[in-house]
Amino acid sequence: MKNILFNTGYFIKETKTIIRMNLLSNILSFLSIGLIFFILAMMISGWWISNQVVLAIQEEAEISIYFSDDLDAAGADRLVKEIKNIEGVYEARLISEEEAYSRMEKILGKEAHVLEYLDENPFSSFIEAKIQIEDIGLILKKLDLIAGIEHVRDNREVLERILGISQTIKMLGYLIITAAGISTTVIISHIIRTGIYDCREQINTLRLMGAPEAFISIPFMLEGLLLTLGGGVLSSALAAYTLKYLYTKAAGPIAFIPFPPLEALASNLVMLIMLLSAALGAVGVLFGLSSARS
Amino acid sequence: MIEAKGVCLEYPDGTRALKNIELSVKPGELVYITGPSGSGKTSLLKLFMGAEYPTAGSLRVLGQHICRGQASRIGNLRRMIGPVFQDFRLIKGRTALENVMLGMRFLDIPSGCIRENAGNALKKVGLEQKMLSLVEHLSWGECQRVAIARAVAREPVLIIADEPTGNLDKNNALNILELLKSFRDTNRAIIITTHATHLIESEKDAGLILMDNGTMSRERVGVLG
Repeated sequence: MKNILFNTGYFIKETKTIIRMNLLSNILSFLSIGLIFFILAMMISGWWISNQVVLAIQEEAEISIYFSDDLDAAGADRLVKEIKNIEGVYEARLISEEEAYSRMEKILGKEAHVLEYLDENPFSSFIEAKIQIEDIGLILKKLDLIAGIEHVRDNREVLERILGISQTIKMLGYLIITAAGISTTVIISHIIRTGIYDCREQINTLRLMGAPEAFISIPFMLEGLLLTLGGGVLSSALAAYTLKYLYTKAAGPIAFIPFPPLEALASNLVMLIMLLSAALGAVGVLFGLSSARS
Repeated sequence: MIEAKGVCLEYPDGTRALKNIELSVKPGELVYITGPSGSGKTSLLKLFMGAEYPTAGSLRVLGQHICRGQASRIGNLRRMIGPVFQDFRLIKGRTALENVMLGMRFLDIPSGCIRENAGNALKKVGLEQKMLSLVEHLSWGECQRVAIARAVAREPVLIIADEPTGNLDKNNALNILELLKSFRDTNRAIIITTHATHLIESEKDAGLILMDNGTMSRERVGVLG
Protein backbone atom coordinates (compact mmCIF):
# COMPACT_ATOMS: atom_id res chain seq x y z
CA MET A 1 0.00 0.00 0.00
CA LYS A 2 2.86 2.34 0.93
CA ASN A 3 4.55 1.56 -2.39
CA ILE A 4 1.33 2.21 -4.27
CA LEU A 5 0.93 5.65 -2.67
CA PHE A 6 4.58 6.56 -3.29
CA ASN A 7 4.22 5.56 -6.93
CA THR A 8 1.08 7.57 -7.72
CA GLY A 9 3.02 9.81 -10.14
CA TYR A 10 4.53 6.79 -11.87
CA PHE A 11 1.11 5.12 -12.28
CA ILE A 12 -0.38 8.27 -13.81
CA LYS A 13 2.55 8.56 -16.22
CA GLU A 14 2.28 4.87 -17.14
CA THR A 15 -1.47 5.21 -17.73
CA LYS A 16 -0.81 8.13 -20.10
CA THR A 17 1.79 6.03 -21.94
CA ILE A 18 -0.59 3.05 -22.25
CA ILE A 19 -3.38 5.30 -23.56
CA ARG A 20 -0.97 6.94 -26.04
CA MET A 21 0.20 3.52 -27.31
CA ASN A 22 -3.36 2.70 -28.50
CA LEU A 23 -4.63 6.23 -28.93
CA LEU A 24 -7.14 5.66 -31.76
CA SER A 25 -8.54 2.53 -30.13
CA ASN A 26 -8.88 4.37 -26.82
CA ILE A 27 -10.60 7.36 -28.44
CA LEU A 28 -13.08 5.05 -30.21
CA SER A 29 -13.75 3.16 -26.97
CA PHE A 30 -14.28 6.45 -25.13
CA LEU A 31 -16.79 7.60 -27.78
CA SER A 32 -18.58 4.21 -27.80
CA ILE A 33 -18.90 4.21 -24.03
CA GLY A 34 -20.09 7.84 -24.11
CA LEU A 35 -22.75 6.91 -26.70
CA ILE A 36 -23.89 3.84 -24.75
CA PHE A 37 -24.24 5.89 -21.57
CA PHE A 38 -26.05 8.63 -23.52
CA ILE A 39 -28.66 6.12 -24.75
CA LEU A 40 -28.91 4.81 -21.21
CA ALA A 41 -29.31 8.36 -19.83
CA MET A 42 -32.08 9.13 -22.30
CA MET A 43 -33.86 5.88 -21.44
CA ILE A 44 -33.60 6.53 -17.72
CA SER A 45 -34.90 10.10 -18.09
CA GLY A 46 -37.81 8.78 -20.19
CA TRP A 47 -38.51 6.27 -17.48
CA TRP A 48 -38.38 8.88 -14.69
CA ILE A 49 -40.57 11.33 -16.63
CA SER A 50 -43.19 8.68 -17.43
CA ASN A 51 -43.25 7.55 -13.80
CA GLN A 52 -43.69 11.15 -12.69
CA VAL A 53 -46.50 11.68 -15.22
CA VAL A 54 -48.27 8.48 -14.14
CA LEU A 55 -47.94 9.47 -10.48
CA ALA A 56 -49.26 12.96 -11.18
CA ILE A 57 -52.19 11.54 -13.17
CA GLN A 58 -52.88 9.00 -10.46
CA GLU A 59 -53.00 11.80 -7.91
CA GLU A 60 -55.49 13.61 -10.14
CA ALA A 61 -57.56 10.48 -10.78
CA GLU A 62 -61.19 11.33 -10.46
CA ILE A 63 -64.57 9.91 -11.34
CA SER A 64 -67.85 11.65 -12.17
CA ILE A 65 -70.96 10.33 -10.45
CA TYR A 66 -74.33 11.18 -12.02
CA PHE A 67 -77.44 10.92 -9.93
CA SER A 68 -81.20 10.88 -10.52
CA ASP A 69 -82.90 14.19 -11.50
CA ASP A 70 -85.49 13.52 -8.81
CA LEU A 71 -82.91 14.07 -6.11
CA ASP A 72 -83.22 17.49 -4.46
CA ALA A 73 -80.29 19.60 -3.14
CA ALA A 74 -80.45 18.03 0.32
CA GLY A 75 -80.43 14.57 -1.21
CA ALA A 76 -77.41 15.46 -3.36
CA ASP A 77 -75.55 16.77 -0.26
CA ARG A 78 -76.32 13.53 1.57
CA LEU A 79 -75.00 11.58 -1.40
CA VAL A 80 -71.75 13.61 -1.36
CA LYS A 81 -71.27 12.77 2.34
CA GLU A 82 -71.92 9.07 1.69
CA ILE A 83 -69.42 9.02 -1.17
CA LYS A 84 -66.78 10.80 0.97
CA ASN A 85 -67.09 7.99 3.52
CA ILE A 86 -66.07 5.33 0.97
CA GLU A 87 -62.51 4.08 1.51
CA GLY A 88 -60.19 5.34 -1.23
CA VAL A 89 -62.20 8.55 -1.88
CA TYR A 90 -60.33 11.52 -0.52
CA GLU A 91 -62.44 14.32 -1.93
CA ALA A 92 -66.00 14.59 -3.23
CA ARG A 93 -67.71 17.76 -4.46
CA LEU A 94 -71.02 18.62 -6.03
CA ILE A 95 -70.63 20.26 -9.45
CA SER A 96 -73.67 22.35 -10.34
CA GLU A 97 -75.20 22.58 -13.83
CA GLU A 98 -73.75 26.09 -14.19
CA GLU A 99 -70.23 24.97 -13.29
CA ALA A 100 -70.51 22.05 -15.73
CA TYR A 101 -71.54 24.54 -18.44
CA SER A 102 -68.66 26.93 -17.73
CA ARG A 103 -66.17 24.02 -17.72
CA MET A 104 -67.37 23.01 -21.16
CA GLU A 105 -66.95 26.62 -22.32
CA LYS A 106 -63.33 26.51 -21.19
CA ILE A 107 -62.73 23.18 -22.91
CA LEU A 108 -64.24 24.37 -26.19
CA GLY A 109 -62.36 27.66 -26.10
CA LYS A 110 -62.94 29.56 -29.38
CA GLU A 111 -65.63 27.08 -30.36
CA ALA A 112 -67.65 27.80 -27.19
CA HIS A 113 -70.13 29.87 -29.21
CA VAL A 114 -71.80 26.62 -30.35
CA LEU A 115 -73.28 26.41 -26.85
CA GLU A 116 -75.20 29.61 -27.54
CA TYR A 117 -77.30 27.77 -30.12
CA LEU A 118 -78.78 25.60 -27.38
CA ASP A 119 -81.99 26.84 -25.82
CA GLU A 120 -81.21 25.61 -22.34
CA ASN A 121 -78.21 24.28 -20.37
CA PRO A 122 -77.81 20.66 -21.51
CA PHE A 123 -75.52 19.73 -18.61
CA SER A 124 -76.75 18.16 -15.43
CA SER A 125 -75.16 18.47 -12.02
CA PHE A 126 -72.92 15.62 -10.83
CA ILE A 127 -70.55 14.66 -8.04
CA GLU A 128 -66.80 14.78 -8.74
CA ALA A 129 -64.70 12.44 -6.57
CA LYS A 130 -60.92 12.29 -6.34
CA ILE A 131 -59.85 8.75 -5.63
CA GLN A 132 -56.88 6.44 -5.07
CA ILE A 133 -56.55 4.82 -8.49
CA GLU A 134 -55.64 1.41 -7.09
CA ASP A 135 -58.95 1.34 -5.12
CA ILE A 136 -61.12 2.11 -8.16
CA GLY A 137 -62.63 -1.40 -8.41
CA LEU A 138 -63.78 -1.42 -4.79
CA ILE A 139 -65.08 2.16 -5.00
CA LEU A 140 -67.20 1.36 -8.08
CA LYS A 141 -68.68 -1.68 -6.32
CA LYS A 142 -69.63 0.40 -3.28
CA LEU A 143 -71.14 3.15 -5.47
CA ASP A 144 -73.34 0.49 -7.08
CA LEU A 145 -74.92 -0.16 -3.70
CA ILE A 146 -75.85 3.49 -3.05
CA ALA A 147 -79.39 4.40 -4.03
CA GLY A 148 -79.95 7.37 -6.32
CA ILE A 149 -76.83 6.99 -8.43
CA GLU A 150 -77.61 6.59 -12.14
CA HIS A 151 -74.18 6.03 -13.59
CA VAL A 152 -70.48 6.59 -12.98
CA ARG A 153 -67.99 7.85 -15.56
CA ASP A 154 -64.40 6.85 -14.89
CA ASN A 155 -61.24 7.32 -16.95
CA ARG A 156 -60.01 3.84 -16.06
CA GLU A 157 -59.09 2.92 -19.64
CA VAL A 158 -56.91 5.99 -20.09
CA LEU A 159 -55.18 5.42 -16.76
CA GLU A 160 -54.62 1.75 -17.53
CA ARG A 161 -53.11 2.66 -20.91
CA ILE A 162 -50.73 5.14 -19.30
CA LEU A 163 -49.77 2.53 -16.72
CA GLY A 164 -49.13 0.06 -19.57
CA ILE A 165 -46.86 2.55 -21.36
CA SER A 166 -44.98 3.17 -18.13
CA GLN A 167 -44.50 -0.59 -17.62
CA THR A 168 -43.20 -0.95 -21.19
CA ILE A 169 -40.74 1.91 -20.71
CA LYS A 170 -39.63 0.28 -17.44
CA MET A 171 -39.06 -3.06 -19.19
CA LEU A 172 -37.16 -1.34 -22.00
CA GLY A 173 -35.17 0.51 -19.35
CA TYR A 174 -34.12 -2.76 -17.69
CA LEU A 175 -33.18 -4.23 -21.07
CA ILE A 176 -31.14 -1.17 -22.04
CA ILE A 177 -29.41 -1.02 -18.65
CA THR A 178 -28.46 -4.71 -19.05
CA ALA A 179 -27.29 -4.18 -22.64
CA ALA A 180 -25.31 -1.06 -21.67
CA GLY A 181 -23.75 -2.89 -18.74
CA ILE A 182 -22.67 -5.83 -20.89
CA SER A 183 -21.40 -3.60 -23.73
CA THR A 184 -19.39 -1.39 -21.38
CA THR A 185 -17.91 -4.40 -19.59
CA VAL A 186 -16.95 -6.02 -22.91
CA ILE A 187 -15.39 -2.81 -24.32
CA ILE A 188 -13.39 -2.11 -21.15
CA SER A 189 -12.27 -5.74 -20.79
CA HIS A 190 -11.19 -5.77 -24.42
CA ILE A 191 -9.25 -2.52 -24.22
CA ILE A 192 -7.48 -3.71 -21.07
CA ARG A 193 -6.60 -7.05 -22.69
CA THR A 194 -5.25 -5.17 -25.73
CA GLY A 195 -3.22 -2.90 -23.46
CA ILE A 196 -1.82 -5.87 -21.54
CA TYR A 197 -1.02 -7.68 -24.80
CA ASP A 198 0.82 -4.65 -26.14
CA CYS A 199 2.79 -4.33 -22.91
CA ARG A 200 3.43 -8.06 -22.42
CA GLU A 201 7.22 -7.68 -22.67
CA GLN A 202 7.25 -4.98 -20.03
CA ILE A 203 4.88 -6.96 -17.80
CA ASN A 204 7.04 -10.10 -18.07
CA THR A 205 10.14 -8.06 -17.20
CA LEU A 206 8.44 -6.56 -14.16
CA ARG A 207 7.29 -10.02 -13.05
CA LEU A 208 10.82 -11.39 -13.42
CA MET A 209 12.05 -8.56 -11.23
CA GLY A 210 9.47 -9.46 -8.59
CA ALA A 211 6.88 -6.74 -9.13
CA PRO A 212 3.59 -7.62 -7.39
CA GLU A 213 0.54 -8.17 -9.63
CA ALA A 214 -1.20 -5.15 -8.06
CA PHE A 215 1.74 -2.90 -9.02
CA ILE A 216 1.63 -4.18 -12.61
CA SER A 217 -2.17 -3.93 -12.88
CA ILE A 218 -2.77 -0.42 -11.53
CA PRO A 219 -1.98 1.54 -14.75
CA PHE A 220 -4.36 -0.75 -16.70
CA MET A 221 -7.04 -0.32 -14.04
CA LEU A 222 -6.64 3.45 -14.24
CA GLU A 223 -6.91 3.29 -18.03
CA GLY A 224 -10.23 1.39 -17.83
CA LEU A 225 -11.65 3.65 -15.15
CA LEU A 226 -10.59 6.79 -17.03
CA LEU A 227 -12.32 5.56 -20.17
CA THR A 228 -15.60 4.75 -18.43
CA LEU A 229 -15.62 7.87 -16.28
CA GLY A 230 -14.72 9.94 -19.36
CA GLY A 231 -17.58 8.25 -21.24
CA GLY A 232 -19.84 9.02 -18.27
CA VAL A 233 -18.88 12.72 -18.32
CA LEU A 234 -19.41 12.93 -22.10
CA SER A 235 -22.83 11.25 -21.93
CA SER A 236 -23.89 13.36 -18.93
CA ALA A 237 -23.04 16.57 -20.78
CA LEU A 238 -24.86 15.37 -23.92
CA ALA A 239 -27.88 14.18 -21.92
CA ALA A 240 -28.13 17.45 -19.94
CA TYR A 241 -27.96 19.47 -23.19
CA THR A 242 -30.53 17.21 -24.93
CA LEU A 243 -32.95 17.35 -21.98
CA LYS A 244 -32.70 21.15 -21.89
CA TYR A 245 -33.46 21.27 -25.62
CA LEU A 246 -36.39 18.84 -25.31
CA TYR A 247 -37.86 20.74 -22.35
CA THR A 248 -37.71 23.99 -24.34
CA LYS A 249 -39.42 22.29 -27.28
CA ALA A 250 -42.04 20.60 -25.08
CA ALA A 251 -42.90 23.78 -23.18
CA GLY A 252 -45.40 24.86 -25.89
CA PRO A 253 -47.29 21.91 -27.37
CA ILE A 254 -47.39 19.55 -24.37
CA ALA A 255 -47.22 22.00 -21.50
CA PHE A 256 -50.12 20.18 -19.76
CA ILE A 257 -47.85 17.15 -19.04
CA PRO A 258 -46.46 17.49 -15.51
CA PHE A 259 -42.73 17.09 -16.26
CA PRO A 260 -40.36 16.93 -13.27
CA PRO A 261 -38.14 20.05 -12.82
CA LEU A 262 -35.25 20.04 -15.33
CA GLU A 263 -32.53 20.87 -12.75
CA ALA A 264 -33.52 18.03 -10.42
CA LEU A 265 -33.85 15.57 -13.30
CA ALA A 266 -30.47 16.54 -14.82
CA SER A 267 -28.54 16.46 -11.53
CA ASN A 268 -30.03 13.07 -10.51
CA LEU A 269 -29.28 11.72 -13.98
CA VAL A 270 -25.64 12.93 -13.94
CA MET A 271 -25.14 11.41 -10.48
CA LEU A 272 -26.61 8.07 -11.55
CA ILE A 273 -24.63 7.92 -14.82
CA MET A 274 -21.36 8.74 -13.05
CA LEU A 275 -22.01 6.09 -10.39
CA LEU A 276 -22.95 3.56 -13.08
CA SER A 277 -19.87 4.38 -15.15
CA ALA A 278 -17.61 3.95 -12.12
CA ALA A 279 -19.26 0.64 -11.20
CA LEU A 280 -19.27 -0.73 -14.76
CA GLY A 281 -15.71 0.49 -15.26
CA ALA A 282 -14.62 -1.42 -12.16
CA VAL A 283 -16.41 -4.58 -13.35
CA GLY A 284 -14.86 -4.23 -16.83
CA VAL A 285 -11.40 -3.73 -15.32
CA LEU A 286 -11.74 -6.84 -13.14
CA PHE A 287 -12.95 -8.94 -16.09
CA GLY A 288 -10.19 -7.61 -18.33
CA LEU A 289 -7.45 -8.25 -15.79
CA SER A 290 -8.65 -11.72 -14.82
CA SER A 291 -9.11 -12.83 -18.43
CA ALA A 292 -5.69 -11.44 -19.42
CA ARG A 293 -4.11 -13.21 -16.45
CA SER A 294 -5.67 -16.57 -17.28
CA MET B 1 22.64 -18.80 -1.08
CA ILE B 2 21.86 -21.59 -3.54
CA GLU B 3 21.60 -25.28 -2.65
CA ALA B 4 20.69 -27.72 -5.42
CA LYS B 5 20.45 -31.46 -4.78
CA GLY B 6 19.73 -33.85 -7.62
CA VAL B 7 17.82 -31.16 -9.55
CA CYS B 8 16.30 -32.16 -12.88
CA LEU B 9 14.26 -30.08 -15.30
CA GLU B 10 12.14 -31.58 -18.01
CA TYR B 11 10.01 -29.35 -20.25
CA PRO B 12 6.42 -30.35 -21.10
CA ASP B 13 7.54 -31.42 -24.62
CA GLY B 14 9.79 -34.04 -23.02
CA THR B 15 13.10 -32.18 -23.44
CA ARG B 16 15.38 -32.95 -20.49
CA ALA B 17 17.13 -29.61 -19.97
CA LEU B 18 18.91 -30.39 -16.68
CA LYS B 19 19.98 -33.69 -15.15
CA ASN B 20 20.98 -34.30 -11.55
CA ILE B 21 22.40 -30.86 -10.76
CA GLU B 22 24.35 -30.72 -7.49
CA LEU B 23 25.42 -27.20 -6.61
CA SER B 24 26.12 -24.88 -3.73
CA VAL B 25 26.79 -21.15 -4.07
CA LYS B 26 27.85 -19.19 -1.00
CA PRO B 27 27.81 -15.43 -0.23
CA GLY B 28 30.78 -13.63 -1.77
CA GLU B 29 31.16 -16.20 -4.50
CA LEU B 30 31.56 -15.34 -8.18
CA VAL B 31 30.50 -18.21 -10.39
CA TYR B 32 30.86 -18.46 -14.14
CA ILE B 33 28.63 -20.98 -15.88
CA THR B 34 29.90 -21.88 -19.29
CA GLY B 35 29.17 -24.42 -21.96
CA PRO B 36 27.89 -24.68 -25.54
CA SER B 37 24.46 -23.46 -26.68
CA GLY B 38 21.67 -25.74 -25.46
CA SER B 39 23.79 -27.13 -22.63
CA GLY B 40 21.34 -25.88 -19.96
CA LYS B 41 22.92 -22.60 -18.78
CA THR B 42 19.82 -20.46 -19.25
CA SER B 43 17.56 -23.25 -17.88
CA LEU B 44 19.65 -23.28 -14.71
CA LEU B 45 19.30 -19.48 -14.33
CA LYS B 46 15.53 -19.78 -14.91
CA LEU B 47 15.37 -22.22 -12.00
CA PHE B 48 17.32 -19.82 -9.78
CA MET B 49 14.84 -17.03 -10.58
CA GLY B 50 11.77 -19.18 -10.09
CA ALA B 51 10.82 -18.89 -13.76
CA GLU B 52 10.82 -22.71 -13.96
CA TYR B 53 10.40 -25.36 -11.28
CA PRO B 54 12.53 -28.49 -10.85
CA THR B 55 10.76 -31.64 -11.99
CA ALA B 56 12.93 -33.67 -9.57
CA GLY B 57 15.35 -32.95 -6.73
CA SER B 58 15.39 -30.06 -4.30
CA LEU B 59 16.43 -26.45 -4.87
CA ARG B 60 16.70 -23.62 -2.35
CA VAL B 61 17.57 -20.10 -3.45
CA LEU B 62 18.09 -17.41 -0.77
CA GLY B 63 16.30 -19.63 1.70
CA GLN B 64 13.30 -20.05 -0.57
CA HIS B 65 12.32 -23.55 -1.64
CA ILE B 66 11.73 -23.49 -5.41
CA CYS B 67 8.76 -25.71 -6.20
CA ARG B 68 5.41 -25.29 -7.84
CA GLY B 69 3.48 -25.09 -4.56
CA GLN B 70 5.56 -22.10 -3.46
CA ALA B 71 4.75 -20.01 -6.54
CA SER B 72 3.18 -17.19 -4.49
CA ARG B 73 6.49 -16.60 -2.67
CA ILE B 74 8.55 -16.37 -5.85
CA GLY B 75 7.90 -12.62 -6.02
CA ASN B 76 9.70 -12.14 -2.68
CA LEU B 77 12.66 -14.16 -3.97
CA ARG B 78 12.88 -12.20 -7.20
CA ARG B 79 12.93 -8.91 -5.29
CA MET B 80 16.21 -10.02 -3.67
CA ILE B 81 17.84 -10.83 -7.02
CA GLY B 82 19.42 -8.40 -9.49
CA PRO B 83 18.84 -9.91 -12.93
CA VAL B 84 20.75 -8.88 -16.07
CA PHE B 85 18.84 -10.39 -18.98
CA GLN B 86 20.49 -11.56 -22.18
CA ASP B 87 18.26 -9.21 -24.24
CA PHE B 88 18.41 -6.54 -21.47
CA ARG B 89 14.59 -6.24 -21.30
CA LEU B 90 14.74 -2.46 -20.99
CA ILE B 91 11.42 -0.64 -21.26
CA LYS B 92 11.23 1.38 -24.46
CA GLY B 93 9.99 4.95 -24.41
CA ARG B 94 11.60 5.48 -21.00
CA THR B 95 14.93 7.05 -20.16
CA ALA B 96 17.89 5.13 -18.71
CA LEU B 97 17.13 6.69 -15.31
CA GLU B 98 13.44 5.72 -15.48
CA ASN B 99 14.38 2.14 -16.37
CA VAL B 100 16.70 1.85 -13.39
CA MET B 101 14.14 3.49 -11.09
CA LEU B 102 11.41 1.14 -12.32
CA GLY B 103 13.35 -1.86 -10.99
CA MET B 104 13.18 -0.36 -7.49
CA ARG B 105 9.69 1.10 -7.29
CA PHE B 106 8.11 -2.00 -5.74
CA LEU B 107 10.97 -2.72 -3.31
CA ASP B 108 11.10 -1.53 0.27
CA ILE B 109 13.39 1.34 -0.67
CA PRO B 110 12.30 4.78 0.64
CA SER B 111 10.88 6.78 -2.25
CA GLY B 112 13.44 9.56 -1.72
CA CYS B 113 16.31 7.09 -2.17
CA ILE B 114 15.06 5.56 -5.42
CA ARG B 115 16.24 8.39 -7.67
CA GLU B 116 19.50 8.75 -5.75
CA ASN B 117 20.29 5.01 -5.95
CA ALA B 118 19.42 4.93 -9.65
CA GLY B 119 21.64 7.95 -10.37
CA ASN B 120 24.53 6.43 -8.40
CA ALA B 121 24.19 3.10 -10.20
CA LEU B 122 24.24 4.81 -13.59
CA LYS B 123 27.34 6.79 -12.52
CA LYS B 124 29.06 3.52 -11.52
CA VAL B 125 28.46 2.04 -14.97
CA GLY B 126 29.71 5.22 -16.63
CA LEU B 127 26.41 6.53 -17.95
CA GLU B 128 26.23 9.74 -15.96
CA GLN B 129 25.84 11.75 -19.16
CA LYS B 130 23.15 9.48 -20.64
CA MET B 131 20.78 9.27 -17.68
CA LEU B 132 18.03 11.18 -19.41
CA SER B 133 18.45 9.55 -22.81
CA LEU B 134 15.70 7.26 -24.05
CA VAL B 135 16.96 3.69 -24.07
CA GLU B 136 16.20 3.26 -27.77
CA HIS B 137 18.75 6.01 -28.46
CA LEU B 138 21.54 4.16 -26.62
CA SER B 139 24.10 1.81 -28.18
CA TRP B 140 24.18 -1.95 -27.50
CA GLY B 141 26.95 -1.57 -24.95
CA GLU B 142 25.18 1.33 -23.23
CA CYS B 143 21.97 -0.68 -22.96
CA GLN B 144 24.02 -3.48 -21.42
CA ARG B 145 25.28 -1.01 -18.82
CA VAL B 146 21.77 0.30 -18.07
CA ALA B 147 20.64 -3.31 -17.51
CA ILE B 148 23.55 -3.82 -15.09
CA ALA B 149 22.77 -0.53 -13.33
CA ARG B 150 19.13 -1.61 -12.97
CA ALA B 151 20.23 -4.88 -11.39
CA VAL B 152 22.73 -3.43 -8.91
CA ALA B 153 20.66 -0.37 -7.92
CA ARG B 154 18.24 -2.81 -6.28
CA GLU B 155 21.00 -3.71 -3.81
CA PRO B 156 20.44 -7.41 -4.41
CA VAL B 157 22.10 -10.23 -2.49
CA LEU B 158 22.41 -12.24 -5.68
CA ILE B 159 23.23 -10.92 -9.15
CA ILE B 160 22.38 -13.21 -12.06
CA ALA B 161 23.67 -12.19 -15.49
CA ASP B 162 22.68 -14.22 -18.54
CA GLU B 163 25.26 -13.99 -21.36
CA PRO B 164 26.28 -10.38 -20.66
CA THR B 165 29.25 -10.74 -23.04
CA GLY B 166 27.21 -12.01 -25.97
CA ASN B 167 27.53 -9.91 -29.17
CA LEU B 168 30.41 -7.89 -27.68
CA ASP B 169 33.99 -7.73 -28.94
CA LYS B 170 36.76 -8.92 -26.59
CA ASN B 171 37.57 -5.52 -25.08
CA ASN B 172 33.95 -4.57 -24.42
CA ALA B 173 33.21 -8.06 -23.07
CA LEU B 174 36.14 -7.76 -20.65
CA ASN B 175 34.92 -4.32 -19.57
CA ILE B 176 31.44 -5.69 -18.85
CA LEU B 177 32.85 -8.62 -16.85
CA GLU B 178 35.07 -6.23 -14.89
CA LEU B 179 32.07 -4.02 -14.22
CA LEU B 180 29.99 -6.93 -12.93
CA LYS B 181 32.88 -8.18 -10.79
CA SER B 182 33.16 -4.71 -9.23
CA PHE B 183 29.83 -5.30 -7.50
CA ARG B 184 31.08 -8.44 -5.80
CA ASP B 185 31.31 -8.29 -2.02
CA THR B 186 31.32 -10.71 0.92
CA ASN B 187 27.53 -10.65 1.27
CA ARG B 188 26.66 -10.85 -2.39
CA ALA B 189 27.07 -13.67 -4.89
CA ILE B 190 27.30 -13.17 -8.63
CA ILE B 191 26.43 -15.81 -11.22
CA ILE B 192 27.35 -15.14 -14.84
CA THR B 193 26.71 -17.39 -17.83
CA THR B 194 29.00 -16.94 -20.80
CA HIS B 195 30.20 -18.62 -23.98
CA ALA B 196 33.48 -16.73 -23.83
CA THR B 197 35.64 -19.24 -21.93
CA HIS B 198 38.82 -17.49 -23.10
CA LEU B 199 37.84 -14.43 -21.07
CA ILE B 200 37.51 -16.25 -17.76
CA GLU B 201 40.38 -18.74 -17.93
CA SER B 202 42.67 -16.52 -15.91
CA GLU B 203 40.16 -15.79 -13.14
CA LYS B 204 41.45 -18.10 -10.42
CA ASP B 205 39.33 -16.58 -7.61
CA ALA B 206 36.08 -17.28 -9.44
CA GLY B 207 34.06 -20.48 -9.44
CA LEU B 208 33.60 -22.25 -12.73
CA ILE B 209 30.81 -24.60 -13.74
CA LEU B 210 30.88 -26.43 -17.04
CA MET B 211 27.55 -27.39 -18.51
CA ASP B 212 27.16 -30.04 -21.17
CA ASN B 213 23.91 -31.52 -22.40
CA GLY B 214 22.07 -30.74 -19.15
CA THR B 215 24.74 -32.08 -16.81
CA MET B 216 27.24 -30.01 -14.84
CA SER B 217 30.71 -30.36 -13.49
CA ARG B 218 32.23 -27.94 -11.02
CA GLU B 219 35.75 -27.03 -11.99
CA ARG B 220 36.54 -24.39 -9.37
CA VAL B 221 35.08 -22.72 -6.29
CA GLY B 222 35.82 -19.07 -5.77
CA VAL B 223 34.78 -17.24 -2.59
CA LEU B 224 36.07 -13.85 -1.51
CA GLY B 225 38.29 -13.52 1.53
